[in-house]
Amino acid sequence: MIRVTGLRKRFGDNEILKGIDFEVPPQTVLGVIGASGSGKSTLLRCLNGLETINGGTIECDNVRLDASLSHSDYRRRVRDLRLKVGTVFQHFYLFPHLSVVGNIIEAPVQVLRTPKKKAETEAYELLESVGMKQAARRYPGSLSGGEQQRVAIARALAMHPALLLLDEPTSALDPRRINSLRALLRTFVDRGHTMIIISHSMRFLSGVADNVLFMDGGLVVEHGPTDEVMNSPKDARTKDFLTQAE
Amino acid sequence: MVLCTYVMYYNAQSTKYKAQSPMKITRPPIRLFCILCAFFWPITAGGQQALRWGADPSGGAPYVFTDPANPDRYIGYEKEMVDALARAMGRRAEFVPSDWETLVPSLQRGSFDVIVNGLEPTGDRAQQILFSNPYYIFQLQLTVRRDDDRIKSIDDCKNRMVGTLGNTAASRLLQQQGIPFRTYADPVGAYRDLELKRIDAVVMDVPAEAFYARSNSKLKPAGPPFTRGLYVIGLRKDDAALKAEVDSAINKIIFDGTLETILKKWGLWNDAQVEFQAPIRAGTATTKVEEYTPTTVSFNWAEALWRLTRAAAVTVGIALGSMVIAVVLGLPLAVGQWKGPAWLRLFCTLYVEFFRGTPVLVQLLFLYFGLPAFGIAMPGWLTALVGLGLNYAAYESQVYRAALEAIPLGQWEAAYSLGMSPLLAFRRIILPQAFRIALPPMTNDFVSLFKDTSVAFAISVWELATAYRELANASGQFLLLGLLVSAFYLAMSLPMAHLARGLERRLRDRALERVVEQEAAA
Repeated sequence: MIRVTGLRKRFGDNEILKGIDFEVPPQTVLGVIGASGSGKSTLLRCLNGLETINGGTIECDNVRLDASLSHSDYRRRVRDLRLKVGTVFQHFYLFPHLSVVGNIIEAPVQVLRTPKKKAETEAYELLESVGMKQAARRYPGSLSGGEQQRVAIARALAMHPALLLLDEPTSALDPRRINSLRALLRTFVDRGHTMIIISHSMRFLSGVADNVLFMDGGLVVEHGPTDEVMNSPKDARTKDFLTQAE
Repeated sequence: MVLCTYVMYYNAQSTKYKAQSPMKITRPPIRLFCILCAFFWPITAGGQQALRWGADPSGGAPYVFTDPANPDRYIGYEKEMVDALARAMGRRAEFVPSDWETLVPSLQRGSFDVIVNGLEPTGDRAQQILFSNPYYIFQLQLTVRRDDDRIKSIDDCKNRMVGTLGNTAASRLLQQQGIPFRTYADPVGAYRDLELKRIDAVVMDVPAEAFYARSNSKLKPAGPPFTRGLYVIGLRKDDAALKAEVDSAINKIIFDGTLETILKKWGLWNDAQVEFQAPIRAGTATTKVEEYTPTTVSFNWAEALWRLTRAAAVTVGIALGSMVIAVVLGLPLAVGQWKGPAWLRLFCTLYVEFFRGTPVLVQLLFLYFGLPAFGIAMPGWLTALVGLGLNYAAYESQVYRAALEAIPLGQWEAAYSLGMSPLLAFRRIILPQAFRIALPPMTNDFVSLFKDTSVAFAISVWELATAYRELANASGQFLLLGLLVSAFYLAMSLPMAHLARGLERRLRDRALERVVEQEAAA
């Protein structure tokens, strides 16, 4: 579903990603772990086109973003990539001036030119599936963190992305909500979605991710099935991180 | 006394620029300054020996004006006449530069002792001040553009706009005959607007017409001089002793031919003066003021209210029009300064700093008097509308920019990650949020824009402040009319503030109401 090869990103002289390679098969969840500063947030921002990459390629569905593209081709390709990749930000960034349903139909109506009625029907279905249908006419300012997150997930899914990115989805949730989020994400995977989840919480990832990728210093240190990486890490750095984490 | 001398010096210094500059840009501030000076003038200055006389020297030729050859002093036939009068009275003449429109109230509040400025003895003024015996017979002259053959006399002006000085015999005549007219603070502005086709004719006292219009090749007199009126000296009601002194001095300088010499020197001696002076010089009689009074209009409250209402409509029109310009133009300025390429940022910054850093009054005067040099001659109301619009666009752009910058970067990124283009993200996501933040300061600006329309009086637009000045000067009802005009302003600005507050509240409460609902449900 998504294949990343030789991905490099630097800010000035400071290289944050030093050649990342990985692949996420369809209908699976990849968990990305690593200490702060390991480059995992930058990786996410590269995958949804918010950062310009300095080397390598990102292939998602049939869109191929290549660092060697000309400036104008690159910009066009980034737009295509963004349509394939949906993002749920750590702080959600719902649009405060729009109602919940307004948040969800805004991009389908404005970008994909979906008729408003059809977009609303779909929005209600999505809200139903994240358990937020009753809040459709409310405004983001009146929602709790967990509720905002569910709306943000529905908003991203309304664009029918091939891949869903979630940045630190557990940071705003209490333990009970973490469990229900895990269940929710699993139902979406079962319906055919593919996800990359960046998280600190090993417990959360172990229940939802098929594979785990451990990053350190801008490089992939270890990448394999969740159980394998968690229970018998090969690299000393991974062991260190896992013992310190939880 | 030291302060007083300094102020006089400063006054003389600042006036000299005005005489030489054709743009007139600095006039009203200086005029204001003169009024302030008059205000702080010590009433006892000069003791018994001074004859303090007030007149408006700006555009005041040939009565009293700044000597172009020697801008440190004033000249004019009335200046010479007052010097002669003072000599006859054994006093020392002391000139207090003032503003024509406010001469009467300034006299009443003791800024000077006499008005000598081509003052006509009208009925409404007679209720407020004393008049001396007359010293000059004036006539009125109609002036039109050289290529204009439509207007031959004042009767051809029924449906045309005529310019004149405010609160003069000429303006009263026009008012009485129902001719539409616009008033100016000085003859220069009136004749300039005539040249620029902003008005169709000018009616002016012959002395001023002779000095300012006769030599202008683009203008010509229409018909012979008409009506006759008197110039008198104005004194405070309770100053009968001084009036007796002044009257006998006038008689003396007429009798001994001093006045004739002065008038001849200034080219103002004519048959009317001969007729007028003959009986005095024969020692038989003095002319009664009443015999000559040409136009007396008593103050009509109903009409004043109607004129104030019209002025209020003009004020509202200017305010709304300039608001539209400010709101619309402010946005590209804000975006240009915020996200534009370097040259655009520079341009927008220069625009903003220019319009914020210079007084709106100066900007209006430049647009009104300066732009015609480039072939752009807008009427006064449009000048005010455009000028205020351009000025407030600078302020609005800063309000917008602050509001736009207050929207978190995450909102942009969320929009981008949903596939929106920068333009779409700006239009649908950023702008609506910024608008809410901008609304309170915008409301504030618009209430103040509303009041700023009053600077349009400097370019002879008949809006509320101009109306107040003229009507109050004509009637002496400064207090009552002031309250009335304030009521007009409030009646217009309060509903606007209320409306804006309502809109603000609606936008803000949308989120809050939901919280209440939610908690009520829980």
